[in-house]
Amino acid sequence: MRVTQSLSQTQFLSALDSLESNLSQTQNQISSGVNFTTPSQDPIAAGAVNNYDQALSQSKQYTANGNSAQTSLQTEDTALSQLQSQLQSLRSLALEANSGTQTGEDLSAIAEQATQIQNSLLSLANTQDGNGQYIFSGFATQTQPFSLTATGATYAGDQGQNQVQIAPGQTLASGDNGDVVFNQIKTGNGTFTVTANAANAGSALLGATTVTGAGGYSGKTYSINFTAPNAYQVVDSLGNVVTSGAYTSGQTITFGGAQVTLTGTPATGDSFSVTPSGNQSLFTTVQNLVNAMQTGASSPTAVPGLNNAVATALNNIDQAISQTSTVQASVGGRLNTITTQQSVQTSQQTQLQQSISSLQSPDYASAITSLDSQNTTLSAAMQAYTLTQGLSLFKYIQ
Amino acid sequence: MSDVFGISISALQAYQTALAVTSNNIANANTPGYAKESIDLTAAVPQTDGSAPIGAGVQVASINRAFSQLAENQLNTSQSSLGQLNSLQNYTGQIDNIVGTSAGGLSTALQNYYNAWSTVANDPTSTAARQALLSQAQSVASAFASTNTQLQGLNSSVNQGIQQDVTQINSIGTSIAALNQQIVTATANAGGQPPNDLIDQRDQLVSNLSQLVGISTTTDSTGAVNVFIGNGQALVLNDKATALTTVGNQFNASQLEVASSANPTVSISSQVTGGDLGGLLASRTQAVDPAINQLGQIAIALNQSANAQQNAGLDLSGNLGANLFSVAGPQASASSNNSDSTTAAVSITNVGALTANNYLLSYQGGAYSLTNAATGSAVAFAGNGTAGNPITADGLSIVLSGTPANGDQFLIQPTAQAAGSFAVALTGTSQIAAAGAIQTSAGGTNTGSAAISSGTVVNAANPNLLNTATIQFLSPTTYSVNGAGSFAYTSGGNIAQNGWQVQISGVPATGDTFTVQSNAGGTGDNRNALASANLQTQGVLSNGTVSVNGAVSSLITGIGSQAQQINTAQTAQTAINSQAQQSVQSVSGVNLDEEAANLLQWQQAYQASAQALSIANGTFTFFMDSINGTYS
Repeated sequence: MRVTQSLSQTQFLSALDSLESNLSQTQNQISSGVNFTTPSQDPIAAGAVNNYDQALSQSKQYTANGNSAQTSLQTEDTALSQLQSQLQSLRSLALEANSGTQTGEDLSAIAEQATQIQNSLLSLANTQDGNGQYIFSGFATQTQPFSLTATGATYAGDQGQNQVQIAPGQTLASGDNGDVVFNQIKTGNGTFTVTANAANAGSALLGATTVTGAGGYSGKTYSINFTAPNAYQVVDSLGNVVTSGAYTSGQTITFGGAQVTLTGTPATGDSFSVTPSGNQSLFTTVQNLVNAMQTGASSPTAVPGLNNAVATALNNIDQAISQTSTVQASVGGRLNTITTQQSVQTSQQTQLQQSISSLQSPDYASAITSLDSQNTTLSAAMQAYTLTQGLSLFKYIQ
Repeated sequence: MSDVFGISISALQAYQTALAVTSNNIANANTPGYAKESIDLTAAVPQTDGSAPIGAGVQVASINRAFSQLAENQLNTSQSSLGQLNSLQNYTGQIDNIVGTSAGGLSTALQNYYNAWSTVANDPTSTAARQALLSQAQSVASAFASTNTQLQGLNSSVNQGIQQDVTQINSIGTSIAALNQQIVTATANAGGQPPNDLIDQRDQLVSNLSQLVGISTTTDSTGAVNVFIGNGQALVLNDKATALTTVGNQFNASQLEVASSANPTVSISSQVTGGDLGGLLASRTQAVDPAINQLGQIAIALNQSANAQQNAGLDLSGNLGANLFSVAGPQASASSNNSDSTTAAVSITNVGALTANNYLLSYQGGAYSLTNAATGSAVAFAGNGTAGNPITADGLSIVLSGTPANGDQFLIQPTAQAAGSFAVALTGTSQIAAAGAIQTSAGGTNTGSAAISSGTVVNAANPNLLNTATIQFLSPTTYSVNGAGSFAYTSGGNIAQNGWQVQISGVPATGDTFTVQSNAGGTGDNRNALASANLQTQGVLSNGTVSVNGAVSSLITGIGSQAQQINTAQTAQTAINSQAQQSVQSVSGVNLDEEAANLLQWQQAYQASAQALSIANGTFTFFMDSINGTYS
């Protein structure tokens, strides 16, 4: 093969070009810490890094969502704790009112305190978060949810509940609406409720109520009628006598899966109605309690009525306390879930960062090795060129 | 004795010529296209006079170019391939840089956009969060716009390149034709001796031409070379050059195509391959346009998914959400060759089936045919193009304004305009539909334990969507909707009405009611914002299997792979080309050492001949002196 000087020159130059460009690419990798700057240098890795980047950004957003939900839930938790303590105060007041030693003035004072508690409850129910949004109005966060009325309070919110995404496919509620917390509170013992007839003339008082029997409460409406101070009859809504018997104070009456204990002395014609539990607003419960105490304060003769009304209210307050506890437990559970998920997300972010850097960062050991070998090749090529270019027959022609 | 003089002088002349040829070789050692010349010496024919013939000296038979047509043709072919790859590499490399590892900023913009939806979901009434969302949406639109502008810029540069190449090809073609004429004349004048330097020049021009466009050549008996491009389109025939020209594409006048001046309205682009020109044409159809289409496909997917979700929610004013983004629809262009004015209207019916391809719709012999514009392969379709029965294929619906004339063609570009036209349509933060369209509630006097789900919108277009509907339980196992009907109740089963769907689960009591109504006023609701944020990973394209971001990743990988593949091919072709250069050079190149040896050889021969002349002279003088001595 004939080799000409101009060809070897051209070929040396093009070899030099490619050697220098490789060297510069390796040098770039090492100095920038990035394996590739355009997708063509590693198309598969470039696509994969884009996917990992998205997953990382999403995971960070889940953490941010969790933080936001944490703030909302902590605000709610604080409100619920205060609600719980107000309800306990209210319960103490009710027990105090029912102790039987209160004068009319005392009752007035207690009623006054209960009214104040009602106002506190109202302000709790209308709690706003840091952004001025009502936390207990469902979706209608810009509408004040509760306003007092003569019989309780109206609810202007809705039954909406916002969800927050804290992990792929995992959402949790960032709050609870006021309807659930304040309105949907079961009356009585949660299954049925016993109410003394307002016209009762005797002093029979409602005691403990329980659900009994294998089938549970029948769900029907009953009336316990006293045919004499020492005899009772339970009739259903159709007027059929379900059961009857002799009455003594502390008598437990069992019918239709319900067990009702009554104490005191009824008058003939007194009655207690037994109905399935419905929902009653906490504010209605408080208003009824206040009304009963005010009535009791103005007419001392209505003491059995007061006692029965307070007993009903106590049942309802207990239901409210239990409802609040349930909601608070659920809030606590959600806060726990967020904390757990936050740490899952954090470790996931670390993993994703590692995956990205394993694709994106150069393997320094091999990069430096190839830098070295490229460097050697380049200097060898240069040396070889100068050596061969020095060879010329003309040098020897004198 | 005169023989010796004659022989010596012929030798002196021959070696002078040989030294001149060698010097000329040395002088042109670095001249591109120069083919090494060698001298062909022959012994002069002796004049016989009946006795034993004595040689009559040496004479120069010819001066030859060291040349291999085979090697030259191989080099030209290789240069054409390399020229095409260089040009393609230029464009795929630029696209590689424009799209880059973040799809021109699109992937970051998309992440921020979806995260902004999450921020709105975390605080739906916050104007700041809503404003941030609009800004991020704007960033997405800007990323589409800037990437698209840069890609469109490449098409302008392709147009310029085509024009420059055509000008240069024409200039070279004219020069080759002129040289052909000179070579034919000079050969005749020199009695059949070839004019080596002119031939060198012409071959160099042919070689330059092969870098611009793929060519084939033939040499005719007169020594003229004929040059053809494409499928035998003559560029140079003997001393006549046929110029190339540019013509607007039949579907898009702003896109330049190559035509021959012999038939200047017909594009021959599809026949042109190789060289820089072939590379430019291939860059446009194989790299730039597909990238624009793919980007457009992503824009359409984002537009579709974001708007559909926005339409299913309520804005702060309690209205169903208006479109968040806007994007240009598919484009159908009639060929300028169509013989009537029938137009085609195209719409997208199913984004999931949409591709990034362009299509060619032809009407021939009373029937339509639909082909992939890039590959020419047939695309299955249904329908006859009327409004009642549109042509449907790949998620598109095509309606023609009438029956086209025979031979009419339409280019359908479903996604080409999308990325450039992608824009944010919403102007006010209150128009962002963060809330779900409907809200559900359980009646306050319900005694059963059944609960209703928050409900989902399945058809946002239902005009009764926001009407209030009441579901009442007639018994624990049956219910009516708005007082009508008696439907069997299954806990957790779907109840659909007015475009929404809810589930009621648990044990209802007779008389329990549930209400589904407009969520107007539910400004703190984040359901729709949450759903919008979740679109990030939801499949939209490829029948709902590829998310918007997935499509971005595919774009990055696709662009990168193409650039990588061209880079590899270019490197390989460079090696092949260097070998082709080597084989040409090994035949035609000047080796200075060889020339040095030749110089010595000719010098020695010249010196020896001069010595012979000197000896002849000495002999003659001695002879004359001898005679003079005898007679003096």
